[in-house]
Amino acid sequence: MRNALATLFLGLSMLLPIAGAPGQAQAQDGPLRIEITDGVIEPLPFATPDFIADTPAASQYAADIARVIASDLVGSGLFREIPKVAYISSYSDFDAAVNFTDWKAINAQALITGAVNVSGDRISVRFRAYDVFAGQELGSGLQLSGTAEGWRRIAHKVADTIYSRLTGEGGYFDSRVVFVSETGPKNDRKKRLAIMDYDGANVQYLTSSNDIVLAPRFSPTGDRVLYTSYESGFPQIHVLDVGKVQRRILSAGNGIMSFAPRFAPDGQTVVYSQSEGGNSDLYSMNINSGATQRLTSAPSIETAPSFSPDGSQIVFESDRSGASQLYIMAATGGEAKRISFGQGRYGTPVWSPRGDYIAFTKQNAGRFHIGVMRTDGSEERLLTASFLDEGPTWSPNGRVIMFTRETQGAAGQARLYSVDVSGRNLKPVKTPDGASDPSWSPLQK
Amino acid sequence: MQTGTKISVAGHGLLVAWALAGGWFHSDPLPFQSQDVSIISAEEFARLSEQRAAPVVAEVPVAPVAPNVPSVAESTPSIPDRPEPAPVAPADQPRPIETPVEEAEPEPPAPEPTPEVPSLVPDAPAVPEPVRDLPQTAEPEAARPTDRVAPEPVKPPEPDTQVDEIAREAIAPDDGGEAPQPVQDATAPEAASDRIVTEAEAENAEPTAPLATSRPKSRPASAAPQRPVAPETPAASEPQSAQSDEKTEPAAEPTPEVESSAVDEALAQALSGAGEVQADDPSGPPMTEGERDALRIAVSQCWNVGSLSSEALRTTVVVAMSLSREGVPDSGSIRMLSSSGGSQGAATQAYEAARRAIMRCGAKGFDLPTDKYGQWRDIEMTFNPERMRIK
Repeated sequence: MRNALATLFLGLSMLLPIAGAPGQAQAQDGPLRIEITDGVIEPLPFATPDFIADTPAASQYAADIARVIASDLVGSGLFREIPKVAYISSYSDFDAAVNFTDWKAINAQALITGAVNVSGDRISVRFRAYDVFAGQELGSGLQLSGTAEGWRRIAHKVADTIYSRLTGEGGYFDSRVVFVSETGPKNDRKKRLAIMDYDGANVQYLTSSNDIVLAPRFSPTGDRVLYTSYESGFPQIHVLDVGKVQRRILSAGNGIMSFAPRFAPDGQTVVYSQSEGGNSDLYSMNINSGATQRLTSAPSIETAPSFSPDGSQIVFESDRSGASQLYIMAATGGEAKRISFGQGRYGTPVWSPRGDYIAFTKQNAGRFHIGVMRTDGSEERLLTASFLDEGPTWSPNGRVIMFTRETQGAAGQARLYSVDVSGRNLKPVKTPDGASDPSWSPLQK
Repeated sequence: MQTGTKISVAGHGLLVAWALAGGWFHSDPLPFQSQDVSIISAEEFARLSEQRAAPVVAEVPVAPVAPNVPSVAESTPSIPDRPEPAPVAPADQPRPIETPVEEAEPEPPAPEPTPEVPSLVPDAPAVPEPVRDLPQTAEPEAARPTDRVAPEPVKPPEPDTQVDEIAREAIAPDDGGEAPQPVQDATAPEAASDRIVTEAEAENAEPTAPLATSRPKSRPASAAPQRPVAPETPAASEPQSAQSDEKTEPAAEPTPEVESSAVDEALAQALSGAGEVQADDPSGPPMTEGERDALRIAVSQCWNVGSLSSEALRTTVVVAMSLSREGVPDSGSIRMLSSSGGSQGAATQAYEAARRAIMRCGAKGFDLPTDKYGQWRDIEMTFNPERMRIK
C-alpha cells in the first residue's frame, strides 16, 4: 500500500507543470536584431569655415559666399550652423586632409569647405562637402564659375548642391519670386509687380504703380510672367517677358473680364477664369495662336485653376456646392471631382511641383490657414493660422510654401511668409515694402 | 479493520483525491510583476552615474541680410554644368596637391549674354546703389599720422594702484556662495523635437480673421445667380475611406529580391565564417529585453530625421554592423543590407542618417554587457521612420 502511494505521489510530482519564470531573455539566432522606430527632429549641425581666397581680390567674395551658403542652409530650417568660435581645426588649405576628429568633437555632422578665385570680372568657386561622422566626402568636389557680379547666384547654386547631397532632394535657393509690391495706406495702396531672389535680395520693379495688378504667375521656364491688370478699367490678363520687360495683353475680347491665369507645364497654354454675364468659368488659351477653349460651364464661380505637374489635370475652386471648395478635373474639361470636404471655405489651390500635395487657403472659424492635402483630398494638414493668410506658392522642390500674411487693423500690412511643408520654420521673407501674391520661379538655369 | 486503520485509509484517500482533483478548485495565482535586475560592479555604477559632457554648441546668429537692390541690369553668371567628379581621397590620407576640381573644369564656357534690362518703369523709385547684403568685414581704417615725439613733455601717468593706509581683513570665499551653474543640455538643442506642431495646431487664439479677405479679389465681385443649392452629396467618406484604405495597407513587405539577397548574403556569410562568434567570445545568456531597449534608446537619441526628404522618410533601411568589445561600432563594418519603401536615392539618404546615428551615439561605446559580447558583436538594426513621418 505504501509503495503504491509513494509511486502515485512520485508520478504526480513528475506530472506537475514546472512553473518556470517567464522568459526574460530570448534565445538568439544569428546577429542581434533591433528595430528603431523613434528618432529626433532637429536641424543637422554643419560647419562652414570662410572659403579660402586664392587671390587678394577674392578675400571679400570668399567670406561673403560662405555666408550666403550658410544663410541658405540655415534658412531652410533643416540645418544649423556651428559658430566659428567653436572650431578646433583651422582651415587654410582647400586640398589638405580634413581632421574629422576635430569636427566630430564639436558635433559638426557636415563640413563645407571651398576656395574662391577672382580673375578680372570672372569668379570661380570650388567646394567640397564632407560627412564628418562617416569620415568621407559627400559626392565629389565641384567648381562653378561666372561673373563676379553674379557671385550670389554662384553661392546659391553651391548651397543647392549641398542641400541636395544632404537631403536627397533638389534645392530651391537659386530661384526668384515675382510678387506685388505694396506701398501706402490701405485705402490708397500702390501696387507694382516686382521680382527678387528667393531670399529677398535684388528686388526689381516690373510695372508702374498707376494700375492695380494682381496674381503674377511664373512660366515653367521662369522667363515670362502672367498677371492680371486693371489698366483698362476691368481685369485683363497680361504676359510679361521678364528679361526684356515687354508685355502684351492676352485678350479674350473687349469688355470680357479675364483673370486668375496660370501657365500649363508646356508653357504654351494658359488656363484662366473668364466672367460673362455674372458667371465665371474656366477657359484655356493657346498663348501663340490665341485659340480658346471653354473648360467648365456651370452657373457658379469657377476660378483659381492650377495644373498638375504632368499637365493632365487641373485643380480649381468652385462654389457650386454653396461654399467655395476644391475640385479636380481633366485639363481638357469634363466632370469635376470634389476633393475638399472639411469645415470652412477652401480656395487658391496650387499643385505641388512634385505632384504629391495641393496647397490651399482655408477660411474656417474666423481664421485663415495655409494648408496642404493629398491630391485625393486626404491627409489635410493646416500649416498656419492667422488673421489673414492666403495665396500659397510652392518652391521649385515642393518643400517650402510662400504665402501672403496680412495683419489686422488700419495699419495692417501685407507681408510674405514661408513655411516648410511639414509646418516647421514659419518665417517672414524680407522685402523692402509690403508684399503680396508671391509666385515662385523654377530653379534658374 | 481497526479504527485507526480506517482513519488512515480515509485520510490517505482524501489526500489522493485532492492531489488528483485539487487543480479544479485552486484559485488563480495573484498577479505579480517581475523586473529584470542586473548586478553591476561599483566601478560600472560609478561610470554610469558620471555625467557625460556633450560638446556645447551655441546657436550662431544668422548673418543679417539687408535687402539688396542692385541696378536693374542684371548679369546672369554662366554656371557651367557639373564638371567631372573629383576623385575622393581616403579620409585619413593626405590629399594630393593637385586640385581635382580644377582639373574637372579647366575652362568655364563663356557667359551667356543676358539681355540688358531696360529701365523698367517711368515712375519706379530711385533705386539705391547696390548694397552688399552681407555683413562687411571691418575695413581697416587708415592710420592717422602722428608725431613720433611729443612736442611737450607729458606728466607720468598716475600709478594704477595705491597702498591704502587702512588695513582691511581679507575676504574669505563663501562656501555656500557658488553661483549655480546652468544645466547643459547634453544631447539635442532646443529645436529638437520628436513631433511637429504647426502654427495651426499650436495656436488656440480667439478667431480674429475677417469674414472674407479684404484684399482685392482675383475675380470680379459678381457672383453666380442665386439659386437653391442642391445639397451636394457629401461623399465625405470618400477621402476618409481612401485614407483608411491607405492606412490599412500592410506595411511594405520586403521585395522578394531583397529577401533573396539577404538570404544569399546570410548564406555567404555562414559559409565564409564571417560573423561567427569567435570561440573565445563569451556568449553568456541571451540579451534581455531591457538590454535591447537600452541599445534601442541609445541609437534613437541620435537618429535625426529632421533633414531627410519626404521620400527618405518613407524608406525603411536595415543596417548591419559589428561592434568592438567596448561597444564601439566598427565604421568599416556598417553597411546597408536592404531597403524598402523608397528609391535608391532615398534609401541612400536614409542609410546615411542611420549611419550617423550609429557613429555618433556609439562613439564612446554602447553600454552593453561585456559577458554577452558574443550576443551583440554583430547587430542588424532596422530603421523604420513610419512614426516619424509627416502625416
